Amino acid sequence: MTVEYVDAGEAIDQGDLSGKHGTAPPVVEGVTYERILEARSEPQNWLTYYGAYNGQRFSPLDQINTENVKRIGPAWVFQAGSSGMIAGASTYAFEAAPLVVDGVMFVSGWDGWVWALNAATGNEIWRYKHATPYDVSLCCGNVNRGVAVAKGKVFSVTPNAHLIALDATTGKKLWDRTYGDVRAGESATCAPLIVKNLVIVGSSGGEFGVRGHLDAFDLDSGEHAWRCYMVPKPGEPGSDTWPSEGQAWARGGGNCWLTGTFDPETNLLYWGTGNPAPDFDGEVREGDNLYTDSIVAIDADAGEIRWHYQCTPHDVWDYDSISECILFEHEGRKLLGHFDKNGYFFVVDRTNGELVRITPFVDRIDWGNITRDGKVTPSRYPEKEGEPVHFFPGPAGAKEWTHAAYNPETELFYVPVQDVGATATRRRREFKESIPYWGAGVQVDIEDMTGYVSAYDANGEEKWRWRAKLPMCASVLTTGGGLVFAGEPNGMFNALDARTGEHLWQFQCGSGHHSSPVSYSVDGRQFVAVPVGWGGWAEGFLPGMLGAGHGSALMVFALPPE
Amino acid sequence: MTSAQERSDLMGKLGLNVQNRAAIGRLLNSGNVGEAKEHGDGRMTATIRINPDELTWDPQILVMPHGGDIELELINDDQNTHCALLPSNGDRKFIWLVNHSRGRATLNLDGPGCYWYSSPTGNDEGRGLTGAIVVLGDVPPEARLDRPDQPRP
Repeated sequence: MTVEYVDAGEAIDQGDLSGKHGTAPPVVEGVTYERILEARSEPQNWLTYYGAYNGQRFSPLDQINTENVKRIGPAWVFQAGSSGMIAGASTYAFEAAPLVVDGVMFVSGWDGWVWALNAATGNEIWRYKHATPYDVSLCCGNVNRGVAVAKGKVFSVTPNAHLIALDATTGKKLWDRTYGDVRAGESATCAPLIVKNLVIVGSSGGEFGVRGHLDAFDLDSGEHAWRCYMVPKPGEPGSDTWPSEGQAWARGGGNCWLTGTFDPETNLLYWGTGNPAPDFDGEVREGDNLYTDSIVAIDADAGEIRWHYQCTPHDVWDYDSISECILFEHEGRKLLGHFDKNGYFFVVDRTNGELVRITPFVDRIDWGNITRDGKVTPSRYPEKEGEPVHFFPGPAGAKEWTHAAYNPETELFYVPVQDVGATATRRRREFKESIPYWGAGVQVDIEDMTGYVSAYDANGEEKWRWRAKLPMCASVLTTGGGLVFAGEPNGMFNALDARTGEHLWQFQCGSGHHSSPVSYSVDGRQFVAVPVGWGGWAEGFLPGMLGAGHGSALMVFALPPE
Repeated sequence: MTSAQERSDLMGKLGLNVQNRAAIGRLLNSGNVGEAKEHGDGRMTATIRINPDELTWDPQILVMPHGGDIELELINDDQNTHCALLPSNGDRKFIWLVNHSRGRATLNLDGPGCYWYSSPTGNDEGRGLTGAIVVLGDVPPEARLDRPDQPRP
């Protein structure tokens, strides 16, 4: 006897079984380039990755201040853990900076997740999940740094190097562009940047011997506008800093794996570039290796490099210069501040790249020395095959990708510092696409490490230091309430007095911090939001915490309701 | 080192290709390999079954010739209830598959690589009902790096 099958029907979206609400109000419809230009005039919102084009990570909100911060507590928590298997299951981390537009939060997770949440309650409104290959090449973990919003759309990159545009009200995909080659080892992790009618994204994959690039797309149509490679081809400007023979340039790295800043007056994008490849074997790529480890200024319309400042010429320590380029004015000059992985705080004139000042910001630097006029002298580096060399800072840098902040009211920079060394042993290997191309075995110290948050003025003078037991591996946030918020690897989230460094408040979030906190308000109530989820490249920046539990929570704090 | 035939023989000898002889469940990815069918209009289709008491997807490794949309027929011939969680752009697709049931799923996978799918109930995933969908091909030409062809493994 034949028994008919039960009709199981059509598979449905997993999110339909999550209790989500479905549709967000059209708050992003009116987010334009003009509004992002004046983002800090909307302190209730956090409209772009750094809060504003200047990269300062400053919120003018002052409801939470030095007097009352001790009273703040959790307002809500969004738990983002999901079912099933994910790429990099042991290295995922919650590293995003949430955006907030008029009461709606947009935040990305690992493995292709994007969520819209009610920013006052934490209720999930919609979710988007990009299907991520389980075997995608990920140097440093399954992570994503955040989204961009404009003209009714939410933009996000995916681990397999797509740029997607979602309808901000529904989370449905509007367009999708592939801008990296997963078979070559490329991926994507950065938060997109909206400039004019362009959405700008960089590539990841510098540990796989790719050729780093920055791309711009029309935000309405998704049409590709320009690509700017960060390693020149033979014959192009800068190509004389690469070997004239062979294809070292074609595998040279220089990825733009974080988000840049923008000055509408100069019309320049300021972007940090990643390490050269192979990371530690400099002999196969003699020369300065432009434009790796550099601050590059790129014409926003043409996509062409106008000037550059290289922080670590011929890097053999993995000292990416990807970190933020904070734009500020001082003594009538338009300047740019950049805390580099190599342990030095660079201040340059952002109109022309002229060096203004260099200051070391970590206690232990022995890889080499940079003089006040910018002369670089290496001293400890993996030079001989098979010979271990120890150096400070380690390859995660004195500050990792996580961001410093600048408070225009205190006129101080706040930098999370990692003081930890590493040993690299050069091991040459043949280049093959999609295979890690480091040129060394590397072991980061698991003892004799420390961390702190330091405050610097524009002249490079350290004004205060708040010491932590472990290296500080998360972005800091500063506010108009005279505060600096800083998360620790042990899960503590701290508030410091921005003027003195006095410790004012802390909360144990249950997992290490490796993300970018933001502040916003809804109906007059100020919130501080911080994604918490330890992971990523922990073996590189803090292997002493490799065994710590992963998390996947977005924690949001506020004063008690009146 | 074993050859492919030796591997198959050895897995049978050790009981690695069935449930509860070597392992407690069924060793992951010890099942069959199948190819999606591509139709003249560009549609791709495939049928995936759960056979009685095998605790594996059939095929456990489904190969798509390229990225795009695929229509799956999902058949549970087992005498126990399972389900399927499948990768797709937008959201994962979920379907409950009671004993002796048949359902459908439409997936969009946009690029090369190995995607997993599973039965997320109980410990079906660990006991054998985790499979792979492998998408062949390359990224679009405009997404590739401007450089000479490089060696691959």
